[in-house]
Amino acid sequence: MHNERINIDLEANKSAVAYSIPIGPTHPALKEPIRFSFELDGERIVGVDIKPGFAHRGIEYMGMRRNLIQTLYLSERICGICSISHPLAFTMAVEHAAGIEVPPRAQAIRTIIGELERIHSHILWAGVGAHELGFDTLLHLTWNVREKVMDLLESLTGNRVDYAIPIISGVRRDIPEEKVHLAAEALDYYKRLLQDLIDAFLHDKSVEMRTKNVGVLTYDEAIALCAIGPTARASGVKKDVRQDWPYYGFADMEVRAITPEDFGREPVGDVYDNIIVRVLEVAQSIEIIERCLETMPSGELMSIPKIPALLAALKKAEGEGIGRHEAPRGEVFHYIRLEADVEEPVAWKVRAPTYGNLMAWVPKFLGDEIADIPIIAASIDPCMCCMDRMHFVSRDGDQSTRLKEELVRLSREKTRRICG
Amino acid sequence: MIFATLFKQLVRRPATNPFPVKYMPRSVTGLLGKVAAGKASIHPPIPAPVDLRGKIAYDAEKCIGCQLCVRVCPAKVIEFLPEEKKIRMYVARCTFCAQCVDACPVDALATTPDFLLADTDRFSENLIVQAAPGAAAAAAPEEE
Amino acid sequence: MTVSVGNAVWQGLIILLGGGLLGLVYKGFDRKLAAQMQGRIGPPLRQPFFDVVKLMVKENIVPDHAVGWLFNLMPVISLAAVATILFYLPLGGYAPLLGGYGDLVLILYLLAVPALAMMVGGFAASSPYASVGAQREMVMLMSYEFPLAIALVGLAWRLSTILPAGSSVFSLGVLAANPLWGLVGPLGIVGLALLMLALLVVTPAELSKIPFDIPEAETEIAGGILAEYSGRNLALFYLSDAVKTVVMGALVVALFIPYGLSGLAGLTGAAGAALDVVFFLVKLFVVVFVSVIVVRVGFARLKVNQVARLFWLPVTAFSFLGLLLLAVDRVI
Ligand code: SF4
Ligand code: SF4
Repeated sequence: MHNERINIDLEANKSAVAYSIPIGPTHPALKEPIRFSFELDGERIVGVDIKPGFAHRGIEYMGMRRNLIQTLYLSERICGICSISHPLAFTMAVEHAAGIEVPPRAQAIRTIIGELERIHSHILWAGVGAHELGFDTLLHLTWNVREKVMDLLESLTGNRVDYAIPIISGVRRDIPEEKVHLAAEALDYYKRLLQDLIDAFLHDKSVEMRTKNVGVLTYDEAIALCAIGPTARASGVKKDVRQDWPYYGFADMEVRAITPEDFGREPVGDVYDNIIVRVLEVAQSIEIIERCLETMPSGELMSIPKIPALLAALKKAEGEGIGRHEAPRGEVFHYIRLEADVEEPVAWKVRAPTYGNLMAWVPKFLGDEIADIPIIAASIDPCMCCMDRMHFVSRDGDQSTRLKEELVRLSREKTRRICG
Repeated sequence: MIFATLFKQLVRRPATNPFPVKYMPRSVTGLLGKVAAGKASIHPPIPAPVDLRGKIAYDAEKCIGCQLCVRVCPAKVIEFLPEEKKIRMYVARCTFCAQCVDACPVDALATTPDFLLADTDRFSENLIVQAAPGAAAAAAPEEE
Repeated sequence: MTVSVGNAVWQGLIILLGGGLLGLVYKGFDRKLAAQMQGRIGPPLRQPFFDVVKLMVKENIVPDHAVGWLFNLMPVISLAAVATILFYLPLGGYAPLLGGYGDLVLILYLLAVPALAMMVGGFAASSPYASVGAQREMVMLMSYEFPLAIALVGLAWRLSTILPAGSSVFSLGVLAANPLWGLVGPLGIVGLALLMLALLVVTPAELSKIPFDIPEAETEIAGGILAEYSGRNLALFYLSDAVKTVVMGALVVALFIPYGLSGLAGLTGAAGAALDVVFFLVKLFVVVFVSVIVVRVGFARLKVNQVARLFWLPVTAFSFLGLLLLAVDRVI
């Protein structure tokens, strides 16, 4: 961890004695457990250490003990907010490995639900951000308008979260004619609302005071630390899976990565830029959904509609596959390896977006103040339990840190074990 | 300006859905009894869309005991009863993915919009779906 | 001023009890109205009473490393200080109970006591969050005391130039009995309005409410000064916060809108007094609504340096300008 500790000359400046303050694993600013140790000089942050590993659930391991249809629903539960992103990446990976085609209509429906999820996730983030700034009113108002897309998702898929829409080889539910108007109505609602969102977040004086030049991640840092998703785009990095690796209908739509330049601001990579990117992405998602609804291809929903046939096909399949999807928080990546005559995936590897953005926290925190901690922590829209890769339990109790070399060795060993 | 919204909100109805009753009653069962007897009223639950994936309904007549549902269920909700060649579902474990409904070749399973399933006993009658309704008590549930 | 001791004790008790009740009732309104503005239903009006009762029966935990006696003493001091201010405030049509024994300057000092007590309590708790909160409280105190003092002293000074020499212009009773609005020229009125604005901005800071709730800042330092307080101690701080709301409101009312309705309505005796008390409560409510409730739902929390800058520059400038206008008005 690159931790720029500022050298302190005790004699020269008594007030500059750094002290440390722990934030987490449970703290009101954090919605999920992670531990930060901040080195402070007065209110200024001069060092930060990040310790994840409190919410590891061993989902990959569990998934490797279930057949692929069962694992699909497990993948849905990696994240409650990205509850379509993970299944999309998972099905993509399995379809890639097994060579299964997805009918065009199913692709369009997957896209629509995925973009609806982006709308609800970004609005949710905006509310959380407002709460971290101590602006609870904005939290309540934004979460109130979020209900519209939740209701839409509920009526399209049958649930508010965990939509259970994609299945390997297609989707499970159609968007019938009589429901299209529901979607259109909700989209109109958000189009009208967009200006309000921009006013409330981007033109509000007290929000501006708290977010401009706070939590800066420069372009170079974003590149060097491999930041992804809105976090990278806020720093001006034009990076978006839908643009760089177009899947489903995105190639025809020419989706472009949104940066603060689209709002007429030179990208700084501060929290304000994060807000810009997310608000504009809501608009972008609305556009994408509208295009999907207009040009909705007709036809099948699943290329292998019968479940026993699907199970049999998957059992025969052999090979490895990857799935990438631009989740609201950034790229989600699934790797899967199938072997013939084994129902379970032989290997399943998930990389959730937060994993890529974790390191971006360090430069974002350094040099800012205690008061900025909550909003900077929230600015990457972290999701700890999706991200946690391991949990360290030791019998002797005192050792809870493993260094990089050892981790690399251990994971290589594990990979070898898994891949035989 | 946010203040305009705030003042408008003062006279508008709150967005929050109300609880069934405003204050915690002295006795919940007492209140529910009164409601059943028509002596008291509670705020009705917010209506759910008809195609909500709620509690799964099981039509044992149609079931052919093929066990497909058991194979696809991610949460291992479904127990196969070899003697009767029927199934029993422990709803408390169910994730409401409705994959079993899709899998069933004879449409013996169906989703219902029933979502008010909270219970203190995970083996209560309401949370066990099986052939003869009400027989849950007779068949002693095994812990998983 | 001679009040019989027995009478004074009775009145004192009533004021104390009334102040506490009023504070909790206003807190109830605060929560309900804030909730309504945020689109929520909010707790019932009597929730603050439940809260106090519940806190009272809860265990009072003193952290292991805390300085026990200081930690336990501070909530008591805080409540005692704000409760004392109640005796110096003209409530409704009644002159302050202790009007003859102290003045505006004493109130100024007493107002600082709860903040100081919280600060000391925060340091005594020896938790990093509480220490950060206490440091922030210190900065806050230094920022808002200055404009507050200017506003109060400015008023008293202007009054001293009007009333015959020898009047105790620093007594709130006298200030309330001689509303300045009618005694100064147009420039003076603008000056007064500026001072009132300054006082209204200071009010939420004095009460540690958003946007100035940085010493407690829930999402940042988990309650800050109050992080380690629980049970009875927390209840006392809660109560002193409630009473302080009334005190700040009553101060603004006494200084700037001390008018009664009984004269207008032509009522005398008990009916007139009752009308004045009711009208006083309404004025109090309006002040609290404008300067606490609306402000706290309409802004994000500021940072400590932003608060300091806000009070040192614009707010102080405003109160100086008000003072200047009052002075110019006198010359004219
Ligand atoms: S709905 Fe899903 S979890 Fe529930 S019984 Fe069916 S397959 Fe299992
Ligand atoms: S899939 Fe349908 S028919 Fe087969 S066991 Fe399950 S309920 Fe019965």
